[in-house]
Amino acid sequence: MLSVKGLKANVGDEEILRGLDLEVKPGEVHAIMGPNGSGKSTFAHVLSGREGYEVTAGSAELEGTNLFALEPEERARLGLFLAFQYPVELPGVNNMYFLKAALNAIRKSRGEEELDAVSFMRRMKERLKVLHLDDSLLKRPVNFGFSGGEKKRNEIFQMAMLEPKLAILDETDSGLDIDALRIVADGVNALRGPQRSMIVVTHYQRLLDYIEPDHVHVLAKGRIIRSGGKELALELEEKGYGWIADGEAA
Amino acid sequence: MSAAANSSRQPTEAAEAFAGWLRNLGGDAAPETAGTGSGPTWLATERQQAAERVRTQAVPTGKSEDWRYTGLRALIEQGFVQADEPVTALTVDDIDEVLVPGLEAHRVVLVNGRYAEALCDLGTLPRGVRIGSLRGMLDSDPDAVRGVLTQIAGEGSHLFAALNTAAMQDGLVVLLERAALLERPIEVIHLSVGMDEPRVAQPRHLISLGEGAQAQVIERYVSLGDALYCTNSVLEVALGRDALLKHARVQQESRNAFHITGLYLSQDANSRYAGVNIGLGGTWARTDLVTRFSGEHAECDLQGLYLAGDKQLIDYHMDVRHGLPNCSSRERFKGILYGKGRAVFDGLVYVARDAQKTDANMSNRNLILSPNAEVDTKPQLEIYADDVKCSHGTTVGQIEPEMLFYLRSRGISAALARRMLCLGFAGEIIDALGPEALRDYVAEQVGARLEQAPLD
Repeated sequence: MLSVKGLKANVGDEEILRGLDLEVKPGEVHAIMGPNGSGKSTFAHVLSGREGYEVTAGSAELEGTNLFALEPEERARLGLFLAFQYPVELPGVNNMYFLKAALNAIRKSRGEEELDAVSFMRRMKERLKVLHLDDSLLKRPVNFGFSGGEKKRNEIFQMAMLEPKLAILDETDSGLDIDALRIVADGVNALRGPQRSMIVVTHYQRLLDYIEPDHVHVLAKGRIIRSGGKELALELEEKGYGWIADGEAA
Repeated sequence: MSAAANSSRQPTEAAEAFAGWLRNLGGDAAPETAGTGSGPTWLATERQQAAERVRTQAVPTGKSEDWRYTGLRALIEQGFVQADEPVTALTVDDIDEVLVPGLEAHRVVLVNGRYAEALCDLGTLPRGVRIGSLRGMLDSDPDAVRGVLTQIAGEGSHLFAALNTAAMQDGLVVLLERAALLERPIEVIHLSVGMDEPRVAQPRHLISLGEGAQAQVIERYVSLGDALYCTNSVLEVALGRDALLKHARVQQESRNAFHITGLYLSQDANSRYAGVNIGLGGTWARTDLVTRFSGEHAECDLQGLYLAGDKQLIDYHMDVRHGLPNCSSRERFKGILYGKGRAVFDGLVYVARDAQKTDANMSNRNLILSPNAEVDTKPQLEIYADDVKCSHGTTVGQIEPEMLFYLRSRGISAALARRMLCLGFAGEIIDALGPEALRDYVAEQVGARLEQAPLD
């Protein structure tokens, strides 16, 4: 599904990613953990095509297509989805209109018909329910005046609507209380399937109690320094990141 | 020295050219009304005085504050002449393309500034409501407009209003008696069609609501084709005690049109005026919105949205005077500038010493999509009372890259994302327009213009 090799990226003059390798197979959920400043969010942004980052070496391919040759919207149409750590408020842009525009752009690029109004509404209502979101959200401007929890749930709702091949969840758990965390995790788990892969970027192990990963990677100073199963997350939680950094130094 | 001499000579030449042009436009027309013999004496006097003001008033130059950012040269150079004969060849089918789909309204059509009876579709008007032509009203019942016509946009109004008073030939009159209530809106289509030579039409319109009357008026300035013409119109609005007027004005003229409108508003106690101005068309468009209160607890709400692209200048001037206590006014204007578009926002709110408890709020926000676009914004509060609530604010900004990326990361193209963000910015003004059919129509018009806008 996703193949990242030797990825290096700068912000300004500073090198943030220093040779990152990652292979994600269809249906797998990978967790990327690491201390603040390790490059977790940079990795998510570079893959999705946000401005302000310069890729200096390496490659990233989604099902064999070079992501770095594509505009952000083209990556999304290919099946990449980023759940933002800080979802952006769009005053005046109606949520339903926004979702329709996004879904239709993606379907059109795949040569599919636009979804008719009835199927679209049905799909929306069904998926709102999973995320315990109220129908009234559809009439509001995107993320505008939403609570922190609503914003995060809205990200997962969008993911449910757009049905990506590869979803990157960037610190989706940050700022969520335990009830909201459970709802978000339920929403994510409902979307797991043999053809959909996920990268869960998080600082804390607790999200992984609810979204069980197949693989856990530890990112430090722009490189993956340890990989393992879900037990690695527990180990990290117990010992803290200092242990990893020390291990790397030794 | 030569540079100084040069710079002092040029404005004089321009001023002379302008004065000559004004004399032609104002002077010729006055005898026509006198000739019909039907104009009442009080009006003839007003018109003579207005013509005199046009002749003697200082001609605006680049130094005059009101016209600083809106040069008159382009207007003078067109050599507009007064449109004399009415256009009668149009049929209802011809105006089909300028209609708003699904808008239910009592429809009035004026062509090149003249009331076009054959194109109107007034339907059944409720009791106490009169709609007709100014010309007809002056012939049949001039007393019905006395006390309003020329009394609101009178002395002290600007040069073009005086010119209009001197030269007016026809226009629209809407009169609501005490407590009359119009449930359906009145749609006024100001249609312009091109003539062999560039013409200026100077219609005079009047809306008068008696005590407690309520109405909604939708004015639309439209044209057939890319005609080059000028409209210099004045609308006088008188609101009696407790009267309520909702007023939408959508200016979508031809890209070659010159457009000058003055809205002069007089509000009695407890009256409420809610106006939404949409400025999309024309190459040179100047609008003056002028409000005076004649009773306490009146509310005046002026909102607006302007879009200006290449070869467009759109100018909104506001002048709201609080001379009495307890009135409130709000000006909320938003602008989107693209290409080499230019806009001017100049809002003055004046609060006299006796106007205690005035509540006045003014804001002007602009979105600039291109480095070559320009907006000159000048909100002004002049306050002489000490117990008031007044505020103003202005912003000029660009589309936030964060917002753009968020939309693109969902598969939406950069062009559509920009359009969505612009429409989102403009949305609250469009939403204030009233009927859904009109809101949808204007949103579509705005979207279509943004679609053609160059991206940088």
